[in-house]
Amino acid sequence: MTIAVAHEASPSKGHGIQQEDQRLETFSYDDQISRMFVGATIVWGVVATLVGLIVAVILVMPSLTNGLPWFSFGRLRPLHTNAAIFAFAGNAIFAAIYYSTQRLCKARMWSDTLSRMHFWGWQLIIVAAAVTLPLGITQSREYAELEWPIDILIAVVWLFIFGGNFLMTLIHRRERHMYVALWFYIATIVTVALLHVFNNLVVPAGWFKGYSVYAGVQDAFMQWWYGHNAVAFFLTTPFLGLMYYFLPKAAERPVFSYRLSIIHFWSLVFIYIWAGPHHLHYTALPQWACTLGMLFSLMLWMPSWGGMINGLLTLRGAWHKVAVDPVLKFYVVGITFYGMSTFEGPMLSIRSVNALSHYTDWTIAHVHSGALGWNGFMTFGMLYWLLPRLFQTKMWSPRLVNQHFWLGTIGILVYIVPIYAAGLMQGLMWRAMDDTGHLMYPDFIETTQSIVPLWWLRVLGGIMYFVGVVMLAVNALMTWVTRPSTYEVPVFSAPRLTKEYEGREQPRVSTLENAPVLDAAKTLDVWAQMGWHRSWERLPVKFTVLATLAVVIATLFEVIPTFLIRSNVPTIATVQPYTPLELAGRHIYVSEGCYNCHSQMIRPIVAETKRYGEYSKPGEFIYDRPFQWGSRRIGPDMAREGGKQSSFWHWTHFQDPQNVSPGSVMPSYKHLLEADLKFNAIAPHVKAAAQLGAAYSDADLNDTETVARKQAEQIAADIVQQGGPAMTFEKQAIALIAYMQRIGTDLYRTETPPAGTEPQPTSSELPAVAISLQGAQE
Amino acid sequence: MIKDLVCALDYSNCAEVALCLFFIVFGAVLFSSLRLSRNAVERFSSIPLNEQVEDPRYE
Repeated sequence: MTIAVAHEASPSKGHGIQQEDQRLETFSYDDQISRMFVGATIVWGVVATLVGLIVAVILVMPSLTNGLPWFSFGRLRPLHTNAAIFAFAGNAIFAAIYYSTQRLCKARMWSDTLSRMHFWGWQLIIVAAAVTLPLGITQSREYAELEWPIDILIAVVWLFIFGGNFLMTLIHRRERHMYVALWFYIATIVTVALLHVFNNLVVPAGWFKGYSVYAGVQDAFMQWWYGHNAVAFFLTTPFLGLMYYFLPKAAERPVFSYRLSIIHFWSLVFIYIWAGPHHLHYTALPQWACTLGMLFSLMLWMPSWGGMINGLLTLRGAWHKVAVDPVLKFYVVGITFYGMSTFEGPMLSIRSVNALSHYTDWTIAHVHSGALGWNGFMTFGMLYWLLPRLFQTKMWSPRLVNQHFWLGTIGILVYIVPIYAAGLMQGLMWRAMDDTGHLMYPDFIETTQSIVPLWWLRVLGGIMYFVGVVMLAVNALMTWVTRPSTYEVPVFSAPRLTKEYEGREQPRVSTLENAPVLDAAKTLDVWAQMGWHRSWERLPVKFTVLATLAVVIATLFEVIPTFLIRSNVPTIATVQPYTPLELAGRHIYVSEGCYNCHSQMIRPIVAETKRYGEYSKPGEFIYDRPFQWGSRRIGPDMAREGGKQSSFWHWTHFQDPQNVSPGSVMPSYKHLLEADLKFNAIAPHVKAAAQLGAAYSDADLNDTETVARKQAEQIAADIVQQGGPAMTFEKQAIALIAYMQRIGTDLYRTETPPAGTEPQPTSSELPAVAISLQGAQE
Repeated sequence: MIKDLVCALDYSNCAEVALCLFFIVFGAVLFSSLRLSRNAVERFSSIPLNEQVEDPRYE
């Protein structure tokens, strides 16, 4: 291959220029698209960490927002997670893929136009998320909050524009063997597309609202199949691809073991997809699914550490460089955090450990050790390696890079250590019981208040990490300023891959050819030489299909039983659809992101049933679209909230939580007391729910507004009777109160018996009586 | 017919079948990786470091 240099003012035509030799082509790499994604990574990195810092401050100073709805924790926390995952990490992935794929394939991206459409389409998605989430337009399903029009845009941009361009580049590559980093990219593209599409199937109830086709247990299963694998295939596999390309480049030595990288890849693809149910231990999800999830999560530890060891040992004989090269320092710490997180993840999936850790800050610390340490530091290492090469100048300040490294490393530790402590403290306080068998800390707020000082330390760690990212932004900006007026564009020439490669390959000969053995043994020996697998590694379409099959088959093994065995979700006769007003209230609950602080899942653990009441049953959630089980308890569980407090108490609580719950960290929701409920906008919600199988009367469907107003007036009258203000029936808070008073009460519902029939069992007998295991014998 | 077929399926062994399936495929991948020749390993792992195109990268 020969190399010449051109200037960007006279760009080469890329691939396809035929030379005298018909098979020789000249091409150049499209580095402009990498520059664009690098810039976007840095900008969104600043935004994501800044919003993270803001939500951390809001948590310790809830009054700071003065009840402004757009800045409440419930609305901003999803903005932080989406910005960190899809904006910061997402753009970093694309920068890595566009830079490395071209060089690994020895080919320019197939279409510059598709590359630009991908860039601007993705930025549009991020901006749409940044606008809609603070406005409360959300599905309230973790990491899948965006509503259906944006979801469709994501599917198109990801799969057809990005995925299509990537696959066509692979097909037109000039390097026969697909390097292992490309395998990780393939798995990322197909699996994320699969997860995104099937998790976000909804029935629209307007442009800004869709109802999931899954309900309750099945929705939870699908959501955590998605949620866990979003971590796997958005935050792990592409970053491993990045590691397998950029680490050898930075260390100037090949990866320690290519064999291990192959095992690493296939193990992750096969194992990760099964592990989602470990997020739902002790919930209403069937135990067999949780056990399977736990088992595969434990198995994940082995390939993950194989990958970590492979990464660190790539630096064998080059550790002296680590001491002086900040890029390698970032990689070493990043890979170490990968090892730490992937050890901790399987540990947290063990049911007994999960019983303690789930819903506490332990999960938050675990996530941030992965996000800040693994994703953040691998990204920073890549950016500092790329910046001088892409902008064809020296880094503005190598000293600032070094300072960023140390500030970031210390910042992560200052963040996660107190949060681990907070998680352990809260988990132990929730379950602590005295000698008489009573809860030692029955007041939930006491358990929250005890960890607030540790949340302040988190703010300090967050500031340090954020300042580090600002240092990166300044350094990148100043490096960009010193760039040359025109970039040099190296032009390469290399032959196109021949199509008749298969025919030219030497036929494999058995090593047993002259041995006195059966022909079958010789055939087996040839098969065992694995030439067929080598050919897969050269065929991008076949490889993509096989990786997809591995993911789909594993998914179906869990999905089919979960959806088809009716005994997984026993029907409870007394559970009825939400009334139109309650449905509107639930929509507000979802819009405000209440799940960010309140779970709706009481686990069958003594300490939980003592604190919250009867444990949650799968059949209670069949009308919950989306499920709202949550994953963190900053406030108490809501699964049995109905009837616990008066409607006036809720009204006062929304107005000023500290007034009725001193020490609460919940912000004021006074806007719900002031804004009118749009009764005429409830009908689409009821129709969507009916379309999905909920039984509604003709009045509910055709005269929704009247039915809703009637219930609202009843609740408003109750508030007046309880000493509250008059004329509240048109306010949004009334709908939310209607929903709050309904949550978890169906289990105890007693229908008024027709005259002359036998008396119904008492409410205390109902849980056992009312659950009819229809189809359990099937 | 599909309903009858689905009803007749026994899902109770799903987890065990899944585990067996995993171990079979994992075994095949492990075997495949270990059979890779040293020459091929060196050529493949040097791809990111090498600006030159080598075709074919025979094993």
